Amino acid sequence: MGAGGNVTADGARTLRERYAAEPQGGLAQLVVGAVGALLIGTGLIAVLAYNWDDFPRWVRIGLALGPLAVTQAVSWWVLGRGETAKPWQREAAAVVQTLAVGAAITLVSQIYNLPGKWTDLVFWWCVVSVPLAWVLRSEAVAIAYLIGIAVWTIAQASERTSYSDAIASGAIGIADVRPWFPLLLAGVLPLWPGLDLRERPAPGSRLVLAASALLGLLAVAAYATVRPAHMFPSFTGFPWLAMLSAAALLLFPLDRGGIAEPLARKPQVLLGGGALVVMALIGTFEGPARDFVMGVGVTASLGWCWLLLAVVVAFAILAFRQGRFAVLAVAGLALVPLLAAPLSADDASGWPVAITYSLVLLATAIALIALEFLGRQGAARIGAALIALLVILRMADADVSLLVKGLAFIVIGSGFLAFNAFVTRRRRVVASGGSPA
Amino acid sequence: MRPALAVFAVAAVAQWLLPLSGIWQHERVISRGTLLRIECAAPDPYDPLRGRYLAVRPAQSTVSQPEGFPRGGDPVSVWATLEVGDAGLARIKSVSLEPVSGPTVMPLTARWTGTTNGTDVISLEWPFDRFYLNERLAPGADKLVAERRRDGKQTVAEVRLLDGRAVLTDILLDGVSVRELVKQGAK
Repeated sequence: MGAGGNVTADGARTLRERYAAEPQGGLAQLVVGAVGALLIGTGLIAVLAYNWDDFPRWVRIGLALGPLAVTQAVSWWVLGRGETAKPWQREAAAVVQTLAVGAAITLVSQIYNLPGKWTDLVFWWCVVSVPLAWVLRSEAVAIAYLIGIAVWTIAQASERTSYSDAIASGAIGIADVRPWFPLLLAGVLPLWPGLDLRERPAPGSRLVLAASALLGLLAVAAYATVRPAHMFPSFTGFPWLAMLSAAALLLFPLDRGGIAEPLARKPQVLLGGGALVVMALIGTFEGPARDFVMGVGVTASLGWCWLLLAVVVAFAILAFRQGRFAVLAVAGLALVPLLAAPLSADDASGWPVAITYSLVLLATAIALIALEFLGRQGAARIGAALIALLVILRMADADVSLLVKGLAFIVIGSGFLAFNAFVTRRRRVVASGGSPA
Repeated sequence: MRPALAVFAVAAVAQWLLPLSGIWQHERVISRGTLLRIECAAPDPYDPLRGRYLAVRPAQSTVSQPEGFPRGGDPVSVWATLEVGDAGLARIKSVSLEPVSGPTVMPLTARWTGTTNGTDVISLEWPFDRFYLNERLAPGADKLVAERRRDGKQTVAEVRLLDGRAVLTDILLDGVSVRELVKQGAK
């Protein structure tokens, strides 16, 4: 028996092994290590850049590559220590080496006055640096990598808006981000979940991972749908693909532990769901609603659209089997343009779809509230906020006097605050084991 | 060897290959390439990763379009043959839509831009567009280039060309490197 008399010695050992506690000060050491490494690396680059014109070319090349050799030696030493290496040592070694790689690439590019966009350098920097995140288990390098691949993907999509397919891949050399972005995003898999499938990113890294995935997927959607036009490129199919991208992120499969975590620790749900709700709110207006439906027809010929749809359906089936009804309710917002498309003529008004969107949003909000009150995973406050937003939008474009609008806003605001207080009190009662009723 | 060390070793080699391949390619052009001097303009902008540079814009930015050049403004790869004139400055002698070879052939990107005086004209994008300078020297260089240009003097880009790859090696004002001139002015 353990000290408390409730757990056997073997059981206590098993629990300690499975839920190993982070040593005290571990996070602080990690942050200090990463910041220190960042300062050393950037300082080194600045020193080299300052002396630039006083050195001959071969000295400059030596100075560009020297730090790379030194930092590689340090990382090798840290790796050689295996599990005895402290987390801050691994983090610092990985960050400094990543900066040394960046310094080598950019300084060589400077020395030979190479043309080209800085985002192309970012691509190569990311590709050759991400293994450091795997082997040294560096969250900072993984975060930098995720930011880098999102920036590069957005840059490619942005360039793509000016050129036709043949031109983009020929004379201009823009990469096709449809295969590239998923491939690059998969570059974090050896770190999260890792080979043992048990590693999870820290909360801050999760946010960057989710944001990178969403921005990258939106950039891919823009890349896939853009059609160059004389003055302004056309993005007719973008909203529908953007909705599918957000739905895929929102529905991303989780294990039991992940599902049980609070919403604040699931940024993919917040960002994916938030993007979907914002687009659905836009869809409650006539013009955008018509464009959303038109976009479905435009994207029907795109392989990327069908791939996304297949992923969303697969994720949705899994979410249904896991009982994640709240995320399913929000993901359903992406289906409205698809279901409306066969029923709408090319020159039809967007009002039926806009009204449908308002009703579906209302139903989604009610579902989020009801699920929480039924004891399932819901989001009553988000549901209430959604209803308040819907009413505000409809009041804003309604042809009524300012006095009526003002009074309506006061009533809605008061109702929202009262509901918020009610939900808070209810959660406190439930948490203390009492009856919510 | 543990798997982590093996992965690290592969990554470390890739981290060396990336800059070294660039160094090898460009050193080869600098040591063996044909030297060309091309008149240009060179204002001073900024790159987020690489810092300040003079944006090199060759004076010959348009030429008559070659036979069969597509209209519409989309960029097209062309091969320009340069020749050295009396003042020692290189100018484009001919432009081809098909690959041609020679010590002074440079691949460029071109777009149809319109008709001037009854002639169809294409604009050219040269394979060098920046000359990096120290943060301390770049503003001075920008000022110097602008002053010389006002005085009607030429700014010249010195380029080495080998097997279609061009490397910008210097910017000259009156035959002297702009870097040296700015350093002298700063003393």
